[in-house]
Amino acid sequence: FPCETMGKQLTRGVNAKGRSATKSYARFKFSKKVNPKKVVEEKKESTKQPKWYAADDVARPFKSRKSHHRITKLRSTITPGTVLILLAGRFKGKRVVFLKQLESGLLLVSGPLKINGVPLRRVDQTYVIATSTKVDVAGVDVSALKDTDFAKKRVAGAKKSDGEFFKTETQKTPLPQERKDL
Amino acid sequence: LINHMSEAVAAAQKSKKIAKAGPGRQVRLWVRAKFLSFRRSKVAQNTNQTILRLEGVNDRTAASYYFGKRVAYIYKTHSGKAENRFRTIWGRISRSHGNSGAVLARFATNLPARAIGSTLRVMLFPQRG
Repeated sequence: FPCETMGKQLTRGVNAKGRSATKSYARFKFSKKVNPKKVVEEKKESTKQPKWYAADDVARPFKSRKSHHRITKLRSTITPGTVLILLAGRFKGKRVVFLKQLESGLLLVSGPLKINGVPLRRVDQTYVIATSTKVDVAGVDVSALKDTDFAKKRVAGAKKSDGEFFKTETQKTPLPQERKDL
Repeated sequence: LINHMSEAVAAAQKSKKIAKAGPGRQVRLWVRAKFLSFRRSKVAQNTNQTILRLEGVNDRTAASYYFGKRVAYIYKTHSGKAENRFRTIWGRISRSHGNSGAVLARFATNLPARAIGSTLRVMLFPQRG
């Protein structure tokens, strides 16, 4: 009796059973003469034979082996309120306050803006030296901030001509007021 | 063993200097390193590996702080546009060399021989914490 394993793929291009068995599975799958019970249900659906059978074996994508993605482990010396020294980037050499670690693993950090001009910013742990100085940030609520807030705003729309494309790139998105307040 | 380790870390910490910036002062976030030589025996040299002497780093334990840190060889050219005048070859410190704090570094492309004796910049990133 033809069964599931007939159509099964061991790996791409190699079937569990040979060609004739796979063929018979295809017939089996699309035949009407399966079970009396099933036929009753199928009467309501269209009982047409499909017009097209895949000539070649249909490739199925491999199951992803990527394991559960984990956030980079935060160094024990870095806790909310720690003063960090930025080692690279636009604000290199500045000392900033660590606020929290985002879901991507990057650190959320702030000057604060009024003190040294460093805005709310994401920074990688490996580009930062943690000092032993700690600042009290109990009053700061950053739970609402996520990685997506830092994504560059894409201008949605249809295809643009070359000229238009360059124009939109030079637009500066003003810092939203809520960030300035923080 | 734990005491020895913490001593090693302390020794390493001492040898890296982060200048406190007064207002308007330039801060150097890298350590000066001399390109001593390619790794070599008496008659043959391996141009894939460079021996660097870091400023202020005098022993093996202090040098271990710098493993993995990125190194830049910066040079000037007079061809090319103004933005392209200063060019860099990036590399990383891979291991120590000897007991006196010298290290080996490997670069994306091998350094030119004219760089021997020049000063390279050893960055403080990636920080291993």
